[in-house]
Amino acid sequence: MKFKDILIISQKNLMRAKLRTLLTIGAVFIGVFAISLTNGLGSGIRSYVNRQLGNLGAENILIVQARQTFPNPVSQDVVEYDQNRQAGQFNVTFLGADDITKIRNIGGTKSITPQFDFRIEYIARDRNSKKYQASASQYVEGFRLEMAAGRLLTATEQNGITIPVRYVAPLGFSSAQDAIGKTVMLSYKDRSGLAQEREVFIAGVQEQSLVGNVDMTVPVALAEEIYRAQTDGASERYPALFVQLENAMADLEQVKQKFSDAGYDARTLEDQVGTIGTVINTILVVLNVFGAIALLAATFGIVNTLFMAVKERTSEIGLMKALGATRGTIFAIFSAEAASIGFWGSSLGIIASIIVGTIANRVATNTFLKNFVGFDLLAFPVLPFLGILAGGIILALIAGALPSLRASRLDPIQALRYE
Amino acid sequence: MLPQELIEYIHSSRAAGVTDAGILHALADAGWAGALMQLDDSVMRAVNLIKTYEGDTNALNGVSLSIQRGESVAIVGKSGSGKSTLMHILATLDKPTSGELIIDGRATSELTRADIDTLRNKKFGFVFQQFFLNGRNTCLDNVTLPLTIMGISRGEREQRGMEMLKAVGLEEKSKQRAGELSGGQKQRLCIGRALISNPGVIFADEPTGNLDSENSAMIMAMVLELQRSRGITLILVTHDADLAAMCDRIITIKDGHIV
Repeated sequence: MKFKDILIISQKNLMRAKLRTLLTIGAVFIGVFAISLTNGLGSGIRSYVNRQLGNLGAENILIVQARQTFPNPVSQDVVEYDQNRQAGQFNVTFLGADDITKIRNIGGTKSITPQFDFRIEYIARDRNSKKYQASASQYVEGFRLEMAAGRLLTATEQNGITIPVRYVAPLGFSSAQDAIGKTVMLSYKDRSGLAQEREVFIAGVQEQSLVGNVDMTVPVALAEEIYRAQTDGASERYPALFVQLENAMADLEQVKQKFSDAGYDARTLEDQVGTIGTVINTILVVLNVFGAIALLAATFGIVNTLFMAVKERTSEIGLMKALGATRGTIFAIFSAEAASIGFWGSSLGIIASIIVGTIANRVATNTFLKNFVGFDLLAFPVLPFLGILAGGIILALIAGALPSLRASRLDPIQALRYE
Repeated sequence: MLPQELIEYIHSSRAAGVTDAGILHALADAGWAGALMQLDDSVMRAVNLIKTYEGDTNALNGVSLSIQRGESVAIVGKSGSGKSTLMHILATLDKPTSGELIIDGRATSELTRADIDTLRNKKFGFVFQQFFLNGRNTCLDNVTLPLTIMGISRGEREQRGMEMLKAVGLEEKSKQRAGELSGGQKQRLCIGRALISNPGVIFADEPTGNLDSENSAMIMAMVLELQRSRGITLILVTHDADLAAMCDRIITIKDGHIV
């Protein structure tokens, strides 16, 4: 029998029990819809994160920390005192001046900047205006941030800061552009607990982002200044060191290994952001599992539907076999029916997910993603969808194999006697 | 060509008064059954067919017969006599427990399943008591089903289908659903379906069993007319003596034997 005729016959057969076919297609639809939507969500977030990562720059900057050790919480052992180690359950090991020397001796470094551990209390337009809670981190040269207005900080910056775009309105600026160059007040508590004020100016306004820096950034000099004021002034305890490598093209894994051998934990900014990806991936895997369970249920539906079809059409199968249809032909007709259910369920599921995703994107970018420039909640690259479509059809074919085999093996005489 | 010794063996056996069935018997045992078929005009020859069903007495108890090309043969017998089993085996829908069936000089025991499927598709036509039409499909689709299975293209199928519908007087019903036809029309459609592949043999299993007497006569007349005009062999299975009498030859089966 011609392939085309097999397809035509199988479609006609599916149309005989419209409701049953529709329900079975519906089951496949639900599973594929779930998986397809999850896939779209994953692609959307991943493409955003990747674009943001691409914006981060600073491929040659390593964030170096002491290798953190987590002591056994139930251990009763008495541990030797280490001035770089914070006491308590989750003690963080800090780095000191000796570490800077040690890392410089590893070689290949261009510059080593300590991360100054400081805290600011609030930001305000001036002494008399409203104060807003604020957190700031030290700007590392080479890190790129997406800017709404103004510029990034420079290495020699003294008084400039950048603020996230969300601070623009509260601080009383009409726009991001309006904020550039304006003076604001940062306040921090010094080591004796007294509030200190520090006048700075806004050098740039950062776009909101899910990855990278979401705080205000202050230049190294300012970070150090506040750090010195908040500690005894001579302390050298750094949570991390920013190490700029001489050669941006250096084999990062090899470099990281060298640091690791020396007892440090070195990561690029990308590694650090990568952990976000891991969290997202875990969520997506869970969602995909739900979709897969729905699809598994759908395959049982396909098996059931085809067994019913075989039973209903027993005498017809008998006739076709009597008229010379081979086992292969009968198998192919029923397999084509299964594949069609898979095809229609998957196609409709994918189309529905694209429609829902497009609407969700429009809603999201107008509401809770408003400030995240270039973030589509869902993305729909073609290849994974072709994969899902193929997967749906293959799954249906596998589900249809047993009923198809049963049909192909029917004894024509028995089948013709069947009523 | 046959080896000389085989031909000599056949001639000497015949001269010694051994029946053809007896010669075949001997040759079938020696694996030469097919060879003999080339000597005579049989379209089908059965040699000592035995069919046993599990835990039952024999349905067929050693049936040998030969059917000539263009002949119409009625197989008659009461229900349970084994006539249906015999037809199923002759039509290759069933396999004998032992014995040999030779069709057009080929021993069916040596054919693969696919060969037998092709044989049925191209050489046999079937008319059943219960019609086995697809009521939702058009008459044209139903009548061309054997050609569809054969893998003939749609254009040729429709052309041959229309010719066939004309031959059985249903050309005006071609686009109508088979389910909408009357009983007599349905069986005419089945005759068309049986003949469309230009088969050598038609098997008709109680073809008038579901029809009134008027339609029965019409269907039987049509079958015999088409069969004779086209030189097709007809094997008719029936319990109706009047129908059987219309055929060239009657084979009566009782308790799995030809009587």
